[in-house]
Amino acid sequence: MATDTEAVTQGETDVDAERGYFGITVSTRTKWNLIRAVTVFVYVLMLLPLAVIVINSFNPSRLGNFPPSSLSLKWYEALLADTRMLRALWNSFQVGVAAALGAGLVGTLTAMGFVRNDFPAQDALVIVMLSPLLIPPIIVGVASTIFFGQIGLERSIAWLIVMHTLLGLPYAFLIIRSQLYLFDETLEEAAKTLGANPVTTFREVTFPLISPSILTAMVIVFVISFGEFTATQFWVKRTTTTVPVVIFSMLRTSISPQIDALATVMLVITIAIPLVVLGIRRYLLQN
Amino acid sequence: MSTERARFGRVRDRVMESDLVRLLLAPGLGIGWVLLFLFLPMTVIVVISFSVPGDFGNVIYEFTLANYERFWEADVYKNIIFESLVYGVVVTLLALPLGYTVGYFLGRSKTDWKWVLLGLVVLQYWVPFIIRTYAWIIVLSNNGVLNQLLLDIGVIGSPLDIMYTDYSMILGLTVSLLPFMILPVYVSVSTIEEDQIHAAKTLGATDFRAFREITLPQSLPGIVSGILFVFIISAGAFLAPTLLGGPSTRMIAPVIETVFILDFNWPFAAALSLIYFGIIGVLLYLFTRRVDLEEALETGVA
Repeated sequence: MATDTEAVTQGETDVDAERGYFGITVSTRTKWNLIRAVTVFVYVLMLLPLAVIVINSFNPSRLGNFPPSSLSLKWYEALLADTRMLRALWNSFQVGVAAALGAGLVGTLTAMGFVRNDFPAQDALVIVMLSPLLIPPIIVGVASTIFFGQIGLERSIAWLIVMHTLLGLPYAFLIIRSQLYLFDETLEEAAKTLGANPVTTFREVTFPLISPSILTAMVIVFVISFGEFTATQFWVKRTTTTVPVVIFSMLRTSISPQIDALATVMLVITIAIPLVVLGIRRYLLQN
Repeated sequence: MSTERARFGRVRDRVMESDLVRLLLAPGLGIGWVLLFLFLPMTVIVVISFSVPGDFGNVIYEFTLANYERFWEADVYKNIIFESLVYGVVVTLLALPLGYTVGYFLGRSKTDWKWVLLGLVVLQYWVPFIIRTYAWIIVLSNNGVLNQLLLDIGVIGSPLDIMYTDYSMILGLTVSLLPFMILPVYVSVSTIEEDQIHAAKTLGATDFRAFREITLPQSLPGIVSGILFVFIISAGAFLAPTLLGGPSTRMIAPVIETVFILDFNWPFAAALSLIYFGIIGVLLYLFTRRVDLEEALETGVA
């Protein structure tokens, strides 16, 4: 605790403490303490509500007195018996993984194309690539649903994968592109001088160097896909529904601790999978 | 045999190296994806928005301005879009100082907990909006956690009516979007060299002046990125107004959804979407005249 206060006050003359604002004298240390207090406040706001969900999911009472007087797994048991929810979890997982692979592949090729080639209207086309990030999801949802409806395309898992790939694409593109900007192009030149064709160069030189950022991008796309609701609500039907859509429809009918259990499972997946994948990445990089 | 293979290799190399193939294969794939699944649908709804609504989501392709006239003549839809933008501004104005303070703390602090605290912000990014939004229902509702605790302690005699108001919606939205402000600000603040700040202070600058002339300008990319994300997401929010807002809370995304799903009026939903998209587009255009949109997005994402 003392260390960060020292970092701020160390070697400083505290001149402003003598002048003060509006005649009020505030020392550097006091200001830093104020910043720290706001930080603590913000963390409480961000974390406490989520902690409440997790704790409440173990609360046997339906009316949820808080904190719970006893703990039980009955809402998780209800979850395991609910085929609709298990199916939604499986759908969400499948779509998330597929969209991550899709956006990883398309994002890598596109980023390569932008960084290694010169072509007309490149700046405008970058904005095209970023547009799924800028157009509000409600509009993406409505426009695509009308379009697919007009050409008579049946709602399916494939539909979800294609659209979630679209939503994740700007993230994959930006992350992989910034990694490509960083690394030394002469390495590729060297490989080509040594007689490697473009495919070999990519496989042996470029890909290993950018693979960490591809993995990061894919993790982020998975997380986005797994939690997306606003556009996805238009894209699902009964059999292809995803977890956020199920939670939303449960909220419309009644609030029960079963929602807390489902939300907790979702929270664990959305946090654990990226942590595990990024942990493996780190382990591989170190060896 | 071997000459055959060599020839195949040469042809393959020539094909791979030809500009057209490289362009089609590489950037063409991504651009094509966005054009096919986003721009083409957007173009189609331009046509639909000038058509007549049929029964159950059907569209009768007869040219009409009726959808746009309906928007223009009734104040209700204009007001809804205006109010959405106002909510967006309010949430941004709340998230900016709070998020900046935390980003600044994380960027300048030497605490051992820094990496844990940073990790917690990244984890926040990953928590789906439906869960963040739902969390505030359990905390704020009349028999929610907050009211229960306050009643138990005896601070209040009867439950506070905070839930299902503008306040609960703005609170939920602001807290959900804080990570989008904190992380970019942290990234830009942490790249500032501490020597510069020390130098300024040694030369007699006050804390405030050193902040204004050194820290603030250098953290501008983070601020711009945060504002961009928080404003776009909050003005177009669907879940927070639907689940946390009150009867008087009106925002554009739930209204478009209602027109689309309950009224089954696809042409009018298309027109509303396009009008809202036009307004966001104009705002983004005005924004890009002052700052680099691409850089702002990259600061927020990568």
